[in-house]
Amino acid sequence: MTESITGSVLITVLFSIRSSAQILSPSRVKISVVIHFHFTPTLCPITAHLPSMAESSKKRRRTNTDDLPFKNKLKPDSTILQTLKDFSTSSSSSSSSSKTLTLQDLSLPFSCREVSDLSLSSVQSNIESLVLRIAHSILSGNGFAFDVPSRAATNQFYVPELDRIVLKDKSSLRPFANISTVRKSAITARILQLVHQLCIKGIHVTKRDLFYTDVKLFQDQIQSDTVLDDVSCMLGCTRSSLNVVAAEKGVVVGRLIFSDNGDMIDCTKMGMGGKAIPPNIDRVGDMQSDALFILLVEKDAAYMRLAEDRFYNRFPCIIVTAKGQPDVATRLFLKKMKMELNLPVLALVDSDPYGLKILSVYGCGSKNMSYDSANLTTPDIKWLGVRPSDLDKYKIPEQCRLPMTEQDIKTGKDMLEEDFVKKNPGWVEELTLMVKTKQKAEIQALSTFGFQYLSEVYLPLKLQQKDWL
Amino acid sequence: MDSSESPTETKKTKSKTPRKNKETVLKQKSPAEFFAENKNIAGFDNPGKSLYTTVRELVENSLDSAESISELPVVEITIEEINKSKFNSMIGLIDCERVDAELYDDYETEKAREKRLAKEARAQEIQAKNAALGKKVKETPASKGIRGRGEASFYRVICKDNGKGMPHDDIPNMFGRVLSGTKYGLKQTRGKFGLGAKMALIWSKMSTGLPIEISSSMRNQSYISFCRLDIDIHKNIPHVHVNEKRENKERWHGAEIQVVIEGNWTTYRSKILHYMRQMAVITPYAQFLFKFVSDAPEKNVTIRFSRRTDVMPPVPLETKHHPSSVDLLLIKRLIAETSKQNLLQFLQHEFVNISKSHAERLIGEMGPDFSPKMALKSLTPQQLVRIHQLFRQAKFDDPNGHCLSPAGEYNLRLGIIKELHPDMVATYSGSAQVFEGHPFIVEAGVSIGGKNVKQGLNIFRFANRIPLLFEQGADVVTRTALKRINWSSYKINQLQDKIGIFVSIVSTKIPFKGTGKEYIGDDITEIASAVKYSIQQCCIQLKSKIVKKMQAREQQERKRNLSKYIPDATGAVYNVLKDMAETQLHASKKFRYGDDDGELLRKVYENLITKETLSEKLAKHVEQVDYEMALEYATQSGVSEEPREAIYIQPLETENKIIDLHSPFFVFRMFY
Repeated sequence: MTESITGSVLITVLFSIRSSAQILSPSRVKISVVIHFHFTPTLCPITAHLPSMAESSKKRRRTNTDDLPFKNKLKPDSTILQTLKDFSTSSSSSSSSSKTLTLQDLSLPFSCREVSDLSLSSVQSNIESLVLRIAHSILSGNGFAFDVPSRAATNQFYVPELDRIVLKDKSSLRPFANISTVRKSAITARILQLVHQLCIKGIHVTKRDLFYTDVKLFQDQIQSDTVLDDVSCMLGCTRSSLNVVAAEKGVVVGRLIFSDNGDMIDCTKMGMGGKAIPPNIDRVGDMQSDALFILLVEKDAAYMRLAEDRFYNRFPCIIVTAKGQPDVATRLFLKKMKMELNLPVLALVDSDPYGLKILSVYGCGSKNMSYDSANLTTPDIKWLGVRPSDLDKYKIPEQCRLPMTEQDIKTGKDMLEEDFVKKNPGWVEELTLMVKTKQKAEIQALSTFGFQYLSEVYLPLKLQQKDWL
Repeated sequence: MDSSESPTETKKTKSKTPRKNKETVLKQKSPAEFFAENKNIAGFDNPGKSLYTTVRELVENSLDSAESISELPVVEITIEEINKSKFNSMIGLIDCERVDAELYDDYETEKAREKRLAKEARAQEIQAKNAALGKKVKETPASKGIRGRGEASFYRVICKDNGKGMPHDDIPNMFGRVLSGTKYGLKQTRGKFGLGAKMALIWSKMSTGLPIEISSSMRNQSYISFCRLDIDIHKNIPHVHVNEKRENKERWHGAEIQVVIEGNWTTYRSKILHYMRQMAVITPYAQFLFKFVSDAPEKNVTIRFSRRTDVMPPVPLETKHHPSSVDLLLIKRLIAETSKQNLLQFLQHEFVNISKSHAERLIGEMGPDFSPKMALKSLTPQQLVRIHQLFRQAKFDDPNGHCLSPAGEYNLRLGIIKELHPDMVATYSGSAQVFEGHPFIVEAGVSIGGKNVKQGLNIFRFANRIPLLFEQGADVVTRTALKRINWSSYKINQLQDKIGIFVSIVSTKIPFKGTGKEYIGDDITEIASAVKYSIQQCCIQLKSKIVKKMQAREQQERKRNLSKYIPDATGAVYNVLKDMAETQLHASKKFRYGDDDGELLRKVYENLITKETLSEKLAKHVEQVDYEMALEYATQSGVSEEPREAIYIQPLETENKIIDLHSPFFVFRMFY
């Protein structure tokens, strides 16, 4: 495995030396040395070509971007990189110490339900024993009922020590012979059977596939999806252990190399679109990177801008987006990156309540999947932008800001009450400002200063000022 | 309509005034003239509406008249279509054939004729094609000739009632003088302005030139007054043709009014019928017979709205003015009319809600110039203004609603049931409230389902117990029902259910908007909130009924709904069991399962337990649960709604003989 990497790296080095031979300046060499120190020897050759790429792309664009506002405040990239490096090292050292905390370490006043990855055979035997119990119950004339853990909001609990939502152990009975639960229990039985088949055959299907196996019963996909979550909660395993995956939604681009089902993927060479995040995370491994941080982007459009401008070459980073609300795969992938590479995560989301909500889903989990929050949440995500205070700071013109609707304001106010916001005073301040000014703006609002303002000025300046919360 | 009249008007004035005098001349106009020119104020916008309004005014007068003597109203209304030649013979005009055809507006030129023929040919072609293709097309109406302006249709409207009748000598003035009436006092009446019957007469004079005919007799009167009259519009005085006394053999009392007017039955047919139907809803104690007679028998209509109750709302009482509702002019008039001598007595007796002590306090507040004993006649205009000011500022108790006569919940409910046959109905009668010194009462009824009811909201509005049919969109009731009631919270589907909303408002003064008495504006918060509250009260009553009904339906459908999912559930369970049984026995490894489970799987493998076994067991369970729940429901909701089951009683005799009578639809079995 290692051999194949070095092979491909060598070719890259050759190529990069050739292309950068003419424009190699002393100062650039210095940077490459700095980075050299920081990264592991195997990855070192890749970094060697970084300055050249940045240099060439800059040269191309510098001509027409000098007049961008705040451009003059930008210090040379070398300075910014130094700042980032310091931040990266400090955060990695700090996070490694607190990593070990789990639910068991805390003595909470109530018991919590958490699921774990189970092997296929144990999922199968869990289902089988459940079905046997039901069969006995039916044959003895008592009908049957499922004991389904409740995933209602009242059964959720935010644990500040863990910085994520966990599920309490309340559960509700789902008897067949009751008019309000008969449908759900029939669907549950059917889903159990389908998952059982998957276990026997050892294959993966998508949620959509699952839905289409019995459209008549499920009626719409939301119903089969909900019951699928119930089933994984009931069996005490993660949803991925059921061999049911969601369609690919998230994409990643940047300075990351990983293996997907045995194939090595270099995310710098995935073109503009990047690599789709594989739905089943268990086949992903061998992550390696020379990035200084992970940049989480809410929107596809901003992601595309950054990918096309090769932002990750100017400032070594990994760019991830789930195109809106993140799916399970993207969250698992982010968590895995964070754990294996130990990089800080910076988030670029819209300046509206939903942007923050998306941030919260990455950070402390969704209520729907709280039973698996241990695997799905990535702690310590920094809110880089676009923050409500940025609107004035970067003099975003009025016509690019939108008035918040009644619903927006209500969501904003509700979020101010949420624990995950309250634990971070900076966030509270920003959100209060948003609710007060009643203005929101999307990442795209920055495009008023030119399409590349985001990658050329805004992000570099933010990074330079360490302006994250 | 107005614009077409103005030329004739100017012509008249020209001929009257001398040519020299070209400066503006001061002219007086009689009220009759004014209303003749502005017919739309009274609802005589066009021939169709005029027919509708005539019917309406006559019916309302009849009801008022009968109610005023506490007689259960019987109203017969007949509309008789009169064709042109009959009309001409009525007015003594000989039918004239057209000689110079080109003189007329509807003359068809050669070109137009060619065009029309070509068009007709084309239409026929299309129809033939459609017919060949087997498409069902509705008959295209026979091409109507261009209807000339002169082609008016005339109707004789006859309205007969069993009311109070009119004093013989008053009849000419009651019909021949606009703005004269018996209903001017401060009380709840249907009519108000002394316009209705006179406007019908003015309209008949304008459109046909025929006089109005009135027969009337009062109770215990030995004769019937018969009067034929028309109106001198310029002088606003009656012009009596005949006024005689006739024999009253049947001891009939009431009035019969006959008027011939131009109208339009085709376009206003549905409005008139709606009006009659709604009138029947709000006055279920009245009997209406509506007839439309014409030469074409297929067009004839006869509808009888029969009486369903003899409980009649009390006659509305005439009341005194509330101090906060009077203006300066009214105070002056009251002073002129009162029999009281001094100020104290005047305040105490001519207004409601002013007691003697209260009046004294008020006079004290008026200032040093006033004293309780001062003569009314000595009041200066300035002092009157002071009284008015104080009336505006001082606080008075609200007038009570005793002077009002609402239809009553009983009558409203009965009317709704009688005319709509709804599945459910709820009514509510609010207490009296006040708007600008006038008391009002809002009553509401909400019905669900019924005959001839459209899906969605069907709104029926009544003001002082007359139906309002026009300008529904801006009305306070419509707005409230559409915008301020959250129907779904009462388990009512605003779009799919057949909802009837009936709101009746009675008041000494209904704050109508616009010129006609057609709708009540949405800008009066007192009325709007009272309407909303009343409708909500009805909905609350309905909600419990609806919920009960839904529960009952759920009871009936529970077993079916539960059984529906048995195959899905058992199929899933059985398939897992089968897979397990097969893998287990094929692998022939050590028993992974306990004794019970192993036994179960063996049975599954040997087909001793199949999907059907599971289904049967589950179905049995469902049945048992259903039975238990039905029992529980029955104990909770009472015996009346328990699920019905066929009961078979064994006959006493062991041997019985039966005869079955077979029909395609049923079998009738006789035991003997």
